[in-house]
Amino acid sequence: MSDRRGFLRNSGLAAAAGAAGVMLGGSGCATAAGPAVATGRMAALPKARGPRLVVVGGGTSGLTIAKYAKKEFPQFDVVLVEKRDMYSSCFTSNLWYAGLVTLENLANHSFLDAAVNNKYVYFNATVTGLDRAGKTLVTSEGDIKYDYLVIAPGISYDYGKIGVNDIDTQTTLRQVYPGGFVSTTEHVTLHRKIREFEGGVFVQTVPSGNYRCLPAPYERACLIASLIKHNKIKGKVVILDANPEVTIKAEGFHAAFDQLYKGILEYHPNAAVKGVDPAKRTIETDFDSVQFADAAIYPNVRGSTLIEQLGLLAPATKSNQFEANIDTRFYNIVGDTSVYVTGDSRPHPYSKSANTSNTEAHYVARVLAARAQGKEVSWTTPETICYSVVNAFPMEAISVKAHYVYDAGKDAITGFSPDTQVFNNRDAAKGKATLEWAKGLYRDMFNA
Amino acid sequence: MDRRCFTQACTGALLAQGLSVWAGPVQDYAHIKLVHPDGAPLKASEVGTQEALVFAYPLKGIPCYLINLGERKASTQSLQSPDDGDYTNPEGVGPKGSFVAFVAICTHQLSYPTPAASYLRYAAAGSELGGGPGRIVCCAHGSVYDPAQGGARVTGPTQNPLMPVRLAWDPATDHLTATGTVGRKFFERFFQTFKGDLIEQYGPGVYRQEVEGSAVAVPLSAYSREVPAC
Repeated sequence: MSDRRGFLRNSGLAAAAGAAGVMLGGSGCATAAGPAVATGRMAALPKARGPRLVVVGGGTSGLTIAKYAKKEFPQFDVVLVEKRDMYSSCFTSNLWYAGLVTLENLANHSFLDAAVNNKYVYFNATVTGLDRAGKTLVTSEGDIKYDYLVIAPGISYDYGKIGVNDIDTQTTLRQVYPGGFVSTTEHVTLHRKIREFEGGVFVQTVPSGNYRCLPAPYERACLIASLIKHNKIKGKVVILDANPEVTIKAEGFHAAFDQLYKGILEYHPNAAVKGVDPAKRTIETDFDSVQFADAAIYPNVRGSTLIEQLGLLAPATKSNQFEANIDTRFYNIVGDTSVYVTGDSRPHPYSKSANTSNTEAHYVARVLAARAQGKEVSWTTPETICYSVVNAFPMEAISVKAHYVYDAGKDAITGFSPDTQVFNNRDAAKGKATLEWAKGLYRDMFNA
Repeated sequence: MDRRCFTQACTGALLAQGLSVWAGPVQDYAHIKLVHPDGAPLKASEVGTQEALVFAYPLKGIPCYLINLGERKASTQSLQSPDDGDYTNPEGVGPKGSFVAFVAICTHQLSYPTPAASYLRYAAAGSELGGGPGRIVCCAHGSVYDPAQGGARVTGPTQNPLMPVRLAWDPATDHLTATGTVGRKFFERFFQTFKGDLIEQYGPGVYRQEVEGSAVAVPLSAYSREVPAC
């Protein structure tokens, strides 16, 4: 059941911990980090009736913090700032491609209902700047004064790390061969591509580093292969993996590759993408040039460009993925206990996944509530519970349940805790549980 | 008797029939006899140890599990509900004190049994997520509860036990009756969360109505089409 050693060895945690730092500014996003000055035009919001907590980002982390900070400390006046006017989850989007859930499952969740159910305000605006001295957040809809600010903007892509540095090719890849790990419109495009795939090679790339949702590219490859097999399509899936081994649940994925998809799915380890020619539909690796009919090209992942824009980047010694400069245990920007960064822009070697962000957010909500009352709470680990559906017909999954260890001497997260378990045996029970896992998360974010 | 006990619960507890020990601030509800689908009273001796039976109590939209712990006897302890304060879970009833009942709603993220599926089940023989035998396991996120310890959390992300249902057993007839529970605010949160689904399943407002007279108890495998054995 639990192959914890293998799990640790092959996981993104180990990969991230061992990766060398890089200089900042290689992403094409390193504009002057100076935050925009407050405009003086105040956002149309009711007067704060208690310490104002502004949460930026209506994903798993932000929605959970907005709800639970209010629950923990009802005096908080909470405002959730989100640039989208319609929610849709990244988690379980792979299942939609295989017809196992509908788009309604992902998107039938209202920011308005979440706010009303949990006694906060949803404010539909895009953040454009931050004046930390004046404790003012600048948005497209006006300035917002805060007492506490949480920024949970998720990830951005880093195409430079897969050898695609010219902006024309980057733009083509973003639009024609999206990774499918940031925005809903990417999911819709991928859904169409997979449904319309009639043959040839479908490439799914896997980046190096601590990318969002470690098992997801392998899960997606399995589900595409499952469709190919089910629909008797003359095609195959090729996984080009930058890593030397499947980064998580390796045994369970290999079993699916070998037992379910022989001749339909090819796995290529140590196959980092070094360049893409969209016109010729070829991907270059160190060893091969792979021709594809269609592809989901998952570039490397970095902290959201918003973190860089607001001048909150960690030094390269702390993050080689442009993540935020926050306290390891309490998530506040180093030297500033008013501003926090949570979710996938954190520099921690945690799994960048929904369940991790959700459980982390429960803890950060308690940190905020305590600090608003002049207290502190002790650190607790987030939890990573994650199902991966490896077969669509019938629906079968494998799973992992992980916690993390904090080393006070190093002030760092050093690995998975001994109680970490990997369930590599695929079965229908875990397949079904995947659906309820997601529904539970939606309930935890949107309902009272 | 402290003030909280006096004002909140003792009246109900003292009125409850068939209880030899006072059991903390469990709310008294109508006494509802558990019956078979044909209306015949369910006898404790007819309840096996391998599977929970599902019945509605105290409201029509609240599913509960009746469990026969077999040779294990249920113990009482002080527990904390998510929304309704502290309580002492009721004792097990029956000839060996092995019959217990719980509100079948996971206190983590509210998974509950529906006719389509149940992700919360009593895993008599043990399971992958639950570990040892005789635990209640939620497949969604791995919360595990011990029905012999008042439904207390064993492991997993839940912070609270399952809400208890107080039972009475009549030694003369071997019949089982539900007499009370904890969770008035918890039920309200559950209703808010699943209002659309509950209207679909029971009809507008019906899920909020109190169960009257008797409650049909059926095995979980008969109640839900799918019961994943996680």
